[in-house]
Amino acid sequence: MDNRDSRSVPATFTAGLAPLSRRGFLRASVLTGAALTSGCATLFVSREPPEELIHDHLSPEEARVATRFTEVLLPTEEHGLPSSTTVVPTVGNLDGMVGQMSPQTRELFALAFWVLEYRPMASFRFSRFTKLDDRRAQEYLVALQEGTFFERGLVTGLKSLVALNYWRDERTWPALDYHGPVTEQWGVRPLGNTPPPRTAQGRG
Amino acid sequence: MSRRRRRINMPRQGVPVTTARDVAQDPSRGRRFNIKTEVVVVGSGAAGSVVAHELARAGHEVLVLEAGRYYPSSQFTEHLGDTINEVYKDQASQLNSTADVLFVEGACIGGSTVIGACVMHRPPNSLLEGWSERHGLDQMTPEKLAPLYDEIGEEQFVHLNEAHEINATAHKVIQGCEHMGFRWRPVTRNVRRCALTGHCLAGCKPDRKMSALVTHLPWAVGYGAELYADTHVTRVRIENNRATGVDAVVRDPDTGDTVAEMRVDAQVVVSAGGAIQTPLLLQRSQAPDFSGELGRNLALQPFTQVLAEFPEELYGFRGALVGVQVDEFLESDGFLFYSALAEPEQLMAQGDQGVGADHINFMLRYKHLAGLNAFSIDDGRGSVSWDGGVNDGRQIIRWNPSRKEFNRIKQSASLAARIFFSAGAKRVYMPTYQRLEVDSVFDLDKTMDEVDYGLRGMYTFRSNSFSPQGTCRMGSERSRAVVNPNGELFDVAGLFVADASLFPEPMAAAPHWTVQVLAKHVARRIEARRSSLFI
Repeated sequence: MDNRDSRSVPATFTAGLAPLSRRGFLRASVLTGAALTSGCATLFVSREPPEELIHDHLSPEEARVATRFTEVLLPTEEHGLPSSTTVVPTVGNLDGMVGQMSPQTRELFALAFWVLEYRPMASFRFSRFTKLDDRRAQEYLVALQEGTFFERGLVTGLKSLVALNYWRDERTWPALDYHGPVTEQWGVRPLGNTPPPRTAQGRG
Repeated sequence: MSRRRRRINMPRQGVPVTTARDVAQDPSRGRRFNIKTEVVVVGSGAAGSVVAHELARAGHEVLVLEAGRYYPSSQFTEHLGDTINEVYKDQASQLNSTADVLFVEGACIGGSTVIGACVMHRPPNSLLEGWSERHGLDQMTPEKLAPLYDEIGEEQFVHLNEAHEINATAHKVIQGCEHMGFRWRPVTRNVRRCALTGHCLAGCKPDRKMSALVTHLPWAVGYGAELYADTHVTRVRIENNRATGVDAVVRDPDTGDTVAEMRVDAQVVVSAGGAIQTPLLLQRSQAPDFSGELGRNLALQPFTQVLAEFPEELYGFRGALVGVQVDEFLESDGFLFYSALAEPEQLMAQGDQGVGADHINFMLRYKHLAGLNAFSIDDGRGSVSWDGGVNDGRQIIRWNPSRKEFNRIKQSASLAARIFFSAGAKRVYMPTYQRLEVDSVFDLDKTMDEVDYGLRGMYTFRSNSFSPQGTCRMGSERSRAVVNPNGELFDVAGLFVADASLFPEPMAAAPHWTVQVLAKHVARRIEARRSSLFI
């Protein structure tokens, strides 16, 4: 097994990002932002995220991006699952999580959503992510997943957070045949604290 | 307080803990209060709980301070998502500086023992012999540590998994290993009459897991130890090369607001917050660092999870979380594999990278999945540092794989995939940041070649660490180690380290058992020197 960069990504995966190569200057600037999003402060000059994006919880713009991201990632109603936007409070759960984030993680999170929203400006005719139709929005996310290392990091991180905040809801579990909590249902008796051990020095 | 405490009855369930709410509601304490004790232990997890029990049993006044909240097992919900919010450090988003390696750590009374998978692994003798020979640790030979391993084994109900503790995921791993000719065996776990709920990562509601919550902490309390939750130790006070206590802040666990400031005067300080938090505390305290090794030599024992899809319904998430291990490559390559598939939320940390219908269809195949966690040894090249002031600084964890470490991670993930294909998997999801799914073992090498080392190995494999280690390494030479063979800092009398920071070299085995053994060793060395350490 070697480590040569022999990757050959099918054209359909990268189609969404194709125009980007013709706008090298935009790519450089946006990708630098993405790299910072990914926490690469040790490699690049540190830059503060846009000040208006730093709040205790999701800002209105972040909530809008998060909602659109949720719709594209989790088109649940098409699969007979509880809606990821109107039934399961995916973005609400995310908001609660954001409220407990450390300042550093919060900064990264804010910048990640900013980059997600504005990154398509360079490759989708100056459109924001939230303005893309369903097909283009999905193409965009797939293209990010197959993109450069920091694009992969960006979309993977956001996807994990959003998906976690959907699948954590027990209303989604019947479709998975997942049992959920069982101790009370099974009548398992808690054993309580363990008796102190017998040792060479005597019990306890 | 009297010097020797009378033994009191151990609570049957739960542990008496002073929380931020208790402090806020007690007007006699005020916004600043002092406590005097003989021993203060920082951290209540695998190491801190053992130290607290040992020293309380020996008759010392012991105070345990834990930064996380108290989350008793009676309140466990068996919802992993809720648990992540409540008791995982940074809601399970503690990351390295490039934000591509996840450090999973418990932040609660009982620490990571509350959310661990119960795996107890006694390392091979060759590892301890190496530590002993290369670092002048005469007390660390297999023969001398054997009684401590046995003691912990008895205390923790460590046993080899029985047949009913081997679930469908584990059976697939066994099947694959049998076809490949790889050595496997049931895992040894610290669990008493496992109820097979499959909720190890969300805390064991029926108290079957031998976490510190139901073992060493209530035992320590039985001897009079006191516990504080929500109490973040900001620094160790050091005067004239002697530890004299700690300063701490009591914070509301929900808002982060400061409730009170605490000053503890103690004759012995034991840091047991783990290999990330302990060096940070010592750095904030400006502890002398003659060797320059404080916070360095961080090893992760990184692991990835390879998921496999089988044609039949496995329900591989039911039953004991970890069933078998594959140790064929432990001593030759430093690889160790554990069967495991947890709650649906856990799948977000690994595997699938689809969007839309792809993602949903992946999740709908959950009952067809099996998981194998592939651990590989790393070289201990990482570091942990505190940047900024005591109260407003931040932690920085630096670790990215070298090419050699990257290749080990890749090789271990490939081996896990081969095991599953040999067991009949129809598809394997590789734990990479790019989307890689393999439908045949014959495509595996070609597919794995697509994972390029790139820039410092960043955003290649979705690596995690449950077991950081080595950041305050133990040794006999002051120029090479942070603490001496007793666990005491070379240049600060009365300041001890008792957690995985002590490991002088990275270990490939799961470290929990060894951490508890070292904690017991340090506690016994403190007690052996009681005439010089305690007034």
